[in-house]
Amino acid sequence: MKVEMEMGLKDVPGSLLRSLTPISKHGGNILSVLHHRGEANLVKVKIVFEIKDQKSLELIQKSLREYRINMSEIFVEGRRYYEKKTLSFILIGHVIDSDIRDTIDRINEIGCVSDVDVVMPDPKKKSSVLMKADVDNGSLDKAVTVIEELCRKKNLFFIHSLEK
Amino acid sequence: MKKIKLVIVGLGVIGRGVIEILLEKKEFLRDMGLDLKVVALCEVDGSIVSDEGIDLKKTLELAGRGELDKHKQWSNSKSIEILGEVKADIVLELTPGNIENGEPGYSHIKGALKNGMHVVTSNKPPIALHYRELHELARGENLELRYEAAVGGAIPILNLHQKCLQINEVESIYGILNGTTNYVLSKMVEDGLSLENALNEAKELGIAEQDPSYDIDGVDTALKVVILANSILDMNVEFGGMKIRGIRDVTPESVELAKKHGYVIKLIGDVRRMEVSPRLIPVDHPLNVSDSLNAVMIDSDVAGELTLVGHGAGARETSSSIYSDVIDIAAGI
Repeated sequence: MKVEMEMGLKDVPGSLLRSLTPISKHGGNILSVLHHRGEANLVKVKIVFEIKDQKSLELIQKSLREYRINMSEIFVEGRRYYEKKTLSFILIGHVIDSDIRDTIDRINEIGCVSDVDVVMPDPKKKSSVLMKADVDNGSLDKAVTVIEELCRKKNLFFIHSLEK
Repeated sequence: MKKIKLVIVGLGVIGRGVIEILLEKKEFLRDMGLDLKVVALCEVDGSIVSDEGIDLKKTLELAGRGELDKHKQWSNSKSIEILGEVKADIVLELTPGNIENGEPGYSHIKGALKNGMHVVTSNKPPIALHYRELHELARGENLELRYEAAVGGAIPILNLHQKCLQINEVESIYGILNGTTNYVLSKMVEDGLSLENALNEAKELGIAEQDPSYDIDGVDTALKVVILANSILDMNVEFGGMKIRGIRDVTPESVELAKKHGYVIKLIGDVRRMEVSPRLIPVDHPLNVSDSLNAVMIDSDVAGELTLVGHGAGARETSSSIYSDVIDIAAGI
C-alpha cells in the first residue's frame, strides 16, 4: 500500500536520516522525499513510500515516536489515515435513569462505543458503568471534554483511562 | 569541618523526625565534613535559642511529653521574631501550611530570607501559593529556597531533575502524589472495602488525618502539581487554575468493574494538564503501586520515561529529602 507521510523535523544534521531509517527498517520502499523550510528550526518533510500492510505502518509510527518525530498527517492510498485508540471510562451515578441511550448516542458522535458493562447494586443506589469507545487518536482530548460536559449535565462522575 | 547553623521552625511530627535523624546521623555527617548545629527551635507558643547549640536529645524528650516550655532556654518569643534576630545558615521551615494563604510558613520563609538565611521547607502551601514571590526574594538575596520534601516525601523529584536530567526537556510529569488516597484505593481493590471503611482503617493506622478532606478531595495532590508545574515545567501557573476532582465518589462497584476489565483506579496528578482526578490505570502499569506508596512518571526527550516509587509521607522518609536539600546547600556555603 502507498503511504504519504508528513512530518516536522528539527533543522539539525541527521534528522532526515533518523526519519527515513524506521521506514526502511520495517520494509518500506521509499518513492520520494520532499522537504521545505517553514517555521524557524523546523523543516516540513513529505515522504512517499510503499509498505506491505497496516502492521508495518504501525511499527514505523512507533519507531518514529520513539525518535520523537512529529507526524502531522498520514494518507494511505490517498485517504486520510486515522489511528484508533480505545478510551475506557467509568460513569458513576444514575447512569441508566439519565438516559444511557442518549449518553451512548452522544459519545458515538465523536467515536464508537464498543463495550458497555453495567453494575447496579440496587435500583435506588448509584450504578457504575464501564464503557469502551474507539476514538481517533487525534480526537482523544476532545472526546474526554465531550464526555466530561455530558457528565456535568447528567450529574455523573467520570473516571477515564490514563492516556499519554 | 564545616560548621552549619540551623534553625528549625515547627516541632511537629516532621520536625521531631528531622531531629531524630540528625542525632542518628551525627557521625555520618561528621564523616562528610559537616557539623550541623541547631541554634534555634521555634514552636507556636515559644522558642528555644542557644548560639552554642541546643541539646536535641533533651529537647526531644520534653517535646514528647508536651513540656517544651520547661526547657531552661524556653522563651515566649514568636518564631517570626526569632527569624528576624537569630543568625544562622539554614532555616528548616516544617510547619503545616494554611491552604488559603500559605501561613505561617509564608511569613517564616520571607522572614528567614530577609535575614540572610537559606530556607529548606516541607511546607506545600507557601510554595504552591507564593512561588514567584518567594523565588524572586531568594534570588534577590542570593539565597537558596529548597522544597524537595514538599513534593513527594522521600522521592527525589526536584533534585533528580536539577542534578541528573539537565540535558532533558521534560514533557510530562504525572503520578500518584498522595499516600492516603493510594492506601484507601488500594484497600478498596485488594480487600473489597468501601471508601469509608478503608478511610477509617487508614485513620487508625495514622496514615490519614482525622479530617482527611485535603487528601481525598485532591487538594494535597493539587498543591504538589502546582509546585512541579512551576519548578520543573516552568509553566508559571497558580493554584486557582487547577482542575481538581477527588475520590469521594468512587464506589466499591466501580472499583470491581475496573478490576474486571484489567484496571485499577488511582488518584493521578497530571502536571502538564494541571489536573487532579481519579483515573483508570492498567493493572500492569508502573504507576500501579500499593499501600501508601507514591509513584511518579517523568517523561523527557533524552532519558525517556522514568518511574520513581517511594514513600510520599512519614517523618523519617520526608527527612531524607530535607537533608538532601540541607547537605546540598551546605556544600555551597
